[in-house]
Amino acid sequence: MSWREAIRLSNVAFAELSLQAIYAFRQGNLAPPGPAQATVARARRRVLQSKAIISFVLALIAFGAAVALRATYYRSNFLPVALPPGVFQAGILTGLLSLDIAFLWWTGMQVLPTFLGSGVLPVLEPLPIEERTLNRAAGLLYLRLFDLPALTILLGTPIMVGVVLGPLVGLAIVPGVIAVVGFSLSLSLLTGRFFVRRVQGSRGGGGRTVVRWAYLVLWLVPAFAMFAFVVTAPAFFAVLGNLAAGGPSIGNHLLLVTFPFTLATLPAVVAGGSAGLGLDPVGWTVLIAGALAYLGLACWSVVWVMLSVRRIGLVPPAVTLPGPVARLDLRPQRPALAVLTKDLRIASRTPGYAFLILLPILDSVAIGLLTFVSAPGSGAAFALALAAVTTAALLATFFGPAFFAIEVFAYSYGRTLPISDRALLSGKVLLIAAMYLVAGATVLGLTLARVFDPVLFVAFILAELPAVGAAAFLELGILFRRARARGLPITNLYASAWYAFFVSIPGVVVAGLPLVAFRIASSGGAYDGLLAMTTVALGELAVCGPLALGRRGS
Amino acid sequence: MAAELVPLAVEDLSVVYGERRAVDHLSLTVRPGEIYGLLGSNGAGKTSTIKTVVGLVRPACGCVRVFGLDAVSDGRRVKERVGYVPETSLLYEALTPREFLEFVASVRHLDRSFASERVRNYVTAFRLEGEFEEPIMALSNGTRQKVLLIAALLHQPPLLVLDEPLNSLDPRSVRIMKELLVRYVASGERGILFSTHTMEVAEQLCHRVGILDRGVLRGEGTLAHLREQVTSGDASLEEVFLRLTEEGEGVQAAVASLGDR
Repeated sequence: MSWREAIRLSNVAFAELSLQAIYAFRQGNLAPPGPAQATVARARRRVLQSKAIISFVLALIAFGAAVALRATYYRSNFLPVALPPGVFQAGILTGLLSLDIAFLWWTGMQVLPTFLGSGVLPVLEPLPIEERTLNRAAGLLYLRLFDLPALTILLGTPIMVGVVLGPLVGLAIVPGVIAVVGFSLSLSLLTGRFFVRRVQGSRGGGGRTVVRWAYLVLWLVPAFAMFAFVVTAPAFFAVLGNLAAGGPSIGNHLLLVTFPFTLATLPAVVAGGSAGLGLDPVGWTVLIAGALAYLGLACWSVVWVMLSVRRIGLVPPAVTLPGPVARLDLRPQRPALAVLTKDLRIASRTPGYAFLILLPILDSVAIGLLTFVSAPGSGAAFALALAAVTTAALLATFFGPAFFAIEVFAYSYGRTLPISDRALLSGKVLLIAAMYLVAGATVLGLTLARVFDPVLFVAFILAELPAVGAAAFLELGILFRRARARGLPITNLYASAWYAFFVSIPGVVVAGLPLVAFRIASSGGAYDGLLAMTTVALGELAVCGPLALGRRGS
Repeated sequence: MAAELVPLAVEDLSVVYGERRAVDHLSLTVRPGEIYGLLGSNGAGKTSTIKTVVGLVRPACGCVRVFGLDAVSDGRRVKERVGYVPETSLLYEALTPREFLEFVASVRHLDRSFASERVRNYVTAFRLEGEFEEPIMALSNGTRQKVLLIAALLHQPPLLVLDEPLNSLDPRSVRIMKELLVRYVASGERGILFSTHTMEVAEQLCHRVGILDRGVLRGEGTLAHLREQVTSGDASLEEVFLRLTEEGEGVQAAVASLGDR
C-alpha cells in the first residue's frame, strides 16, 4: 500500500517539478497564456524530450563501444600496442562504463539545483502521510529525473554487448551497469547538495565570488572526465598492453580491483579472453571480490539515495548567517554592463549557467595545454592553438543563447524596470564576447612559451570576434522575437534542449563562416586568410547587429 | 488639472484573461499629494489593475496614464516614473540585496553618491545591515519585502504603486513605512496607489479609497463620503466595505456553517 501511495505522490510531485523546471514560477517567471492543463502537459513533454536526447547520446556511446568491440580488424592499426582480445574488450568496456557514469553524473548535477529549489518536497511534508511513504515518494521522484537515461544504460548496454559478443557476455556486463547507475545517482546527490550549499548559499562580497568560481570549476569534473578519457585513451591502452605483456603482477591485480575495470573485465572473461589479464589465483580472487564489493556498494548507494533524498531535499539551500556589517554603498554601471554583471553574479551561484561560461574557457585550457606536447614554433602547435580558439568561438556561440534564460529569474519584476531591450541584448552579447575573449587569451597565455607568431595569433582571435558578436546578436534576436510571442523559455538541459539547438545552429553557422573563409583563403598565406576572415566577420556583424537591435530601442 | 501633473489616471480600463474579465471598465484617479487605497476581496481585480499600471498586463480596453504618459505606448518612460512593490516578493534569488539594488540603480541611471546615500539611509532604518550580503534566497519574507520597498523608493519616483506592501513586515517596519508614505506625498506633487486587504491600514493612511468587487468599482471617495453612501455615519471602513460589496450578509451564515465550536 505504501509503495502504491508513494508512486501516486511522486507522479503528482513530478508534474510540479516539470513545471518548475520549465517555467520557474518560483523564481518569478510569468505564467504563459493559455489553460493551465496545457501548460502542465507542455512542461512534461519538454522534460521527456530532454530525457530522450540524453538517452539518445548514451545509446550512441554504447553503439560506439559495440562497433569498437566488433572492429577487431582495426585493433592493431589504431592502438599503440597489440593487445590480447580479452584485454582489448575489457579496455573498451571500461571506457564505456566510465563515459556512462560521467555523463549520468553530469546530468544529475545539472538538474539537481532545480530539484532542490523547486520546493516540491516541503509541500508534501505537513500532510498526514507515513514517514516511510514520504521517503519512498521522495526517492521515486529523484529516480524519475534519471529514469529514461538510466534505463538506456541498464538495458541498452547489455543488449549492445550481447549482440556483439553473445548473450552471456551481455549478461556479464549487468553488474557493471548497475554499479554505474547506482554510483551516478549517489554522486549526483552528494555533489549537487554540496554545490547548492557552498555555492548558491554563499554570501556576497569580500572575494567570495572568486571562491564560488573555484568551486564551480570542480562542477565541471564529470564533464571533463568524459573529455579526459577520450584524450587519454591511447595512453590507457598502452598501459594495458604493458601489463598484459608482463603477466600476473601487483600492477595487474591493482588494475583488476580498480573501478570500473573490475566490472568491465567480467564480460571479457565470459567472452573467453582471460589471457593477459593477470588472472592467476590471486587475480581471480581480487576480481571476484572486487566485483562483489562494487555491486554491493552500488546497491547500498541506491538504498542510501532512497533514504536520503527527502532529508536533503528539506534543508533550505541557504540560511542567513550573522555577518559583519556590509559596505552600504552602491556602484551603478551603464545598463548593458549592469546586465552583464548581474548575469555573472547569478551564474556564480547557479552551476548550470556557470558551466556554460566555464566550458569554452576550460576547453581552451585543455587544448592549449596540448600545445606543450608539440615542438616550439612547430606548425602543429599553431594548428592546435587555432583549433582551441575555434572551439571556444563555437562553444561560446552554441551555449550563449542559454544566458537569455537567466531573464526568467524575477521576470515579472524585471519587466517593471525601465531597461531597454537594446541594453538587455547588448549585455548578453557582451557576456558571450567576453567568454570568447577570455578563452582566446587563455590559449594565448598557454602558447606563448611555444612562440610561433603571437601577432598573427592575436589577429586571428580579434578577427573572429565580430563573428562571435554577430552570432550572439542573431541567436538572441531570435529568442527575443520568440519571447515576445510566447513568453520566456528556459533553455537548460532538462527543459528545452530542442529549442536551444534550434536557435544555436544558425549562430554556430555564422560563427563558423569566417573560420571556413580563413581555411580557404590561407592557402595563399596566413595574412590572406586573416583578411578574408575579417571581411566575412565584419560583414556578418554589419547585418546581424542592426537586425537584432534595429527596432528595440524601448 | 493638466494631465501631466496627475500621478495616475485610469480610464475605462478592462483586463481580460481568456474568458474571465478581471477588471471591468474601471476608472480612477490618483491626485497629486494623495494616497489612494484600492480595496477588494481576493480576485476583485486589484493586482490586475496594478499590473496594468506597471506594464505587466496589457489592457483589453481603456488606458492608463502616468503623469500624462500612456502606460502601453510610452511604457519605458512610465516605468522611469514609477516605484513598484509587487504582491509576491519573487526577486533575483541568486543575488544579494546589495547586488540587486546595484542592478536597479544601474538600469535607473542613478548617480553613485545619490544611490549610495539613499540605500544607506533605508538599510539603516530597516536594520538590514547584517543581511545586506546574504543571497536573497536565504532571506525571510519580511526582509525580502524591505528590499523591495528600498528598490521602489531608491529613485524617488513621483508615483509609488504598492501591492500589499506591508505584508510580512515586523511592527517596527510597518510603523516606519506608514510614516514614510505620509511624508512622501506631503510635498503635494507625488502620488501613491496602495492596495491592501487590511481595512485599518487603509483607514489610517489613505486620503481616498476605491472599493473593487469582481472587477467593478463599487464605491470611491473619502471614508466620510463612503459612510454617506451606505447611510451609516459611524460605520467602520470594514462595515462600509462589506455593505458596498454585499458580502456582509453571508458572513454570519458562513461562520455558522463551519461548525467549529
